[in-house]
Amino acid sequence: MNPILADIYSTILPSAPYVIAAYALLWVALLAYVLVIARGQKRAEAQLMLLEEALADRQAKGE
Amino acid sequence: MAPEGKSPRLPEAGQWPDRVAPAALVAGIVLTTVGFLMAFLWVPPVGGASVGGAELIGDAMVSQKLLLSQKIFYFHMPVAITSFIALVFGAWYSLRFLRTREARYDTCARIALEITLLFIALTMITGEMWTRFEWGVWWSWEPRLTTYLVLMLVVIAYFVLRGSVDEPERRAAFSAVVAIIAFIDAPICFMVTRLIPSSIHPVVLREGGMSPEMGLCVAVVAAGMLCVAFALYRARFRQVRLAQRVEALKEELGD
Amino acid sequence: MAEREKQERARRSDAPASPRSELCARPSALEQYRVLLMKDLRQELRTKEMLVSMGIYALLVIVVFGVALSFARPGADFLEVSGGLLWALVVFTSLLGLNRSFSHETENGCLEGLLLAPLDRGVVFLAKATSNLAFLAIVEVIAVPLYWVFFSSFAAPAASAPLIVVPLLLGSVGIAGIGTLLSTITASTRGKDVMLALLFVPVVFPLLYACVSATTAALAGGVLMEEAFATSLALAAGYDVVMLLASWVLYDFVVS
Repeated sequence: MNPILADIYSTILPSAPYVIAAYALLWVALLAYVLVIARGQKRAEAQLMLLEEALADRQAKGE
Repeated sequence: MAPEGKSPRLPEAGQWPDRVAPAALVAGIVLTTVGFLMAFLWVPPVGGASVGGAELIGDAMVSQKLLLSQKIFYFHMPVAITSFIALVFGAWYSLRFLRTREARYDTCARIALEITLLFIALTMITGEMWTRFEWGVWWSWEPRLTTYLVLMLVVIAYFVLRGSVDEPERRAAFSAVVAIIAFIDAPICFMVTRLIPSSIHPVVLREGGMSPEMGLCVAVVAAGMLCVAFALYRARFRQVRLAQRVEALKEELGD
Repeated sequence: MAEREKQERARRSDAPASPRSELCARPSALEQYRVLLMKDLRQELRTKEMLVSMGIYALLVIVVFGVALSFARPGADFLEVSGGLLWALVVFTSLLGLNRSFSHETENGCLEGLLLAPLDRGVVFLAKATSNLAFLAIVEVIAVPLYWVFFSSFAAPAASAPLIVVPLLLGSVGIAGIGTLLSTITASTRGKDVMLALLFVPVVFPLLYACVSATTAALAGGVLMEEAFATSLALAAGYDVVMLLASWVLYDFVVS
């Protein structure tokens, strides 16, 4: 390759890992937050189930 | 982000924003993908240091090194814009809390600040990667990174403060005040590092002189990121409201 | 103002001599401010506890700086860091002062007593901020010459050096203002001192940046002075105005 062209393109390969890392980490961070939300949701639903069972028990005992 | 008419209706899960949220998420993903493709395939590359001569590439004379790392900018700036808009909403909900003392607004403010923190973290990550390649060091005290670091510290301080006050009323009032101070502080931070000439530490402003194609790409990605942020906010809000309602039920049933 | 006071005195003498009616007569805002400020100043000047500890703390920080710089070669470059080091000294000392000024109130339950009286919250803020500013100013008057004494062997400052009084004043006003608001918030949290530092440093960053720039410009003189001094001072003043206004308005919510 003509040396000037080589020079023009010289930064592309070395910078590629950083560019890929930037975009990848961006989506990883967003997914991490989604996981936080999902975990909170699961926990809340488990609590709700426990409450429903307790209420059903109480009603059964009441009668 | 939540309906607030003249009637004292508080933001609640399951109202109209929740129906819009999935559509917003899809729109956000589409827009950011389109923007990503635009960034790499359509916007002309930005030149860096000059090379010895000039070559004909495509149909233009190129006499500088073509930068791939600059492409990070097309996600770095939109994410920064989104974080600031999230902060605006956080301050708005904090203000509403201080006016009405309704705990619901405190919840909204807290979640908005969570989104702010998330997007500031994204800004720092993309900025880090960009800096690392450009300057070969992990950190330089240049205005952009320093401003975001300071902003991130304020938002982290907000959450630490919330953790260290036990009484709910006080916690909400204190965090609302801090959120408003953070909102006022952010633009001042931006201005200060740009307006003060620093001849000791040369400031390299890269955003100066954006061509229209660059601007369009940034706008597309910014719109996409805002949609994603909105969807995340509603999802988190629904989850937190569910947990709060379950807690309230628990207390009433006396378990 | 005299008319109002006369009317209040008349009301007071007419009403039955019960403690309740005494509280109902509200002095003017300026009088409230003066009384609160005098109370703080008198209390401190009696014991001088906080001033002495702030002064010694400043000296200790200077000693630490001395150790930190003990392997640096003296030269004109030192002037570039000297402004920044001076402001680091001011920030650390003011953090100490802000913490202690509020610990008095919370320890003795003065704050609750203060809030029971029908005082305008904004006035409470201004009085507290002014007393904090006064203490900070007194300590700075001692610490800045001390700093010069210890570090004048490194480099001689430029002719414009006395101008550092201006950024010091502007910075102290800003620090006292926003610091009073933040220390009121953190006084009733769990990790008091650390919480204050956590909130204070990022919020005060723009002010610090501007003041360091102005101080370095004044100390180094020359081309730096012309470029940066006026802009930095304008920005610092802008910060002061905005943040003082915000703190004054928000103080009500923090104290109720």
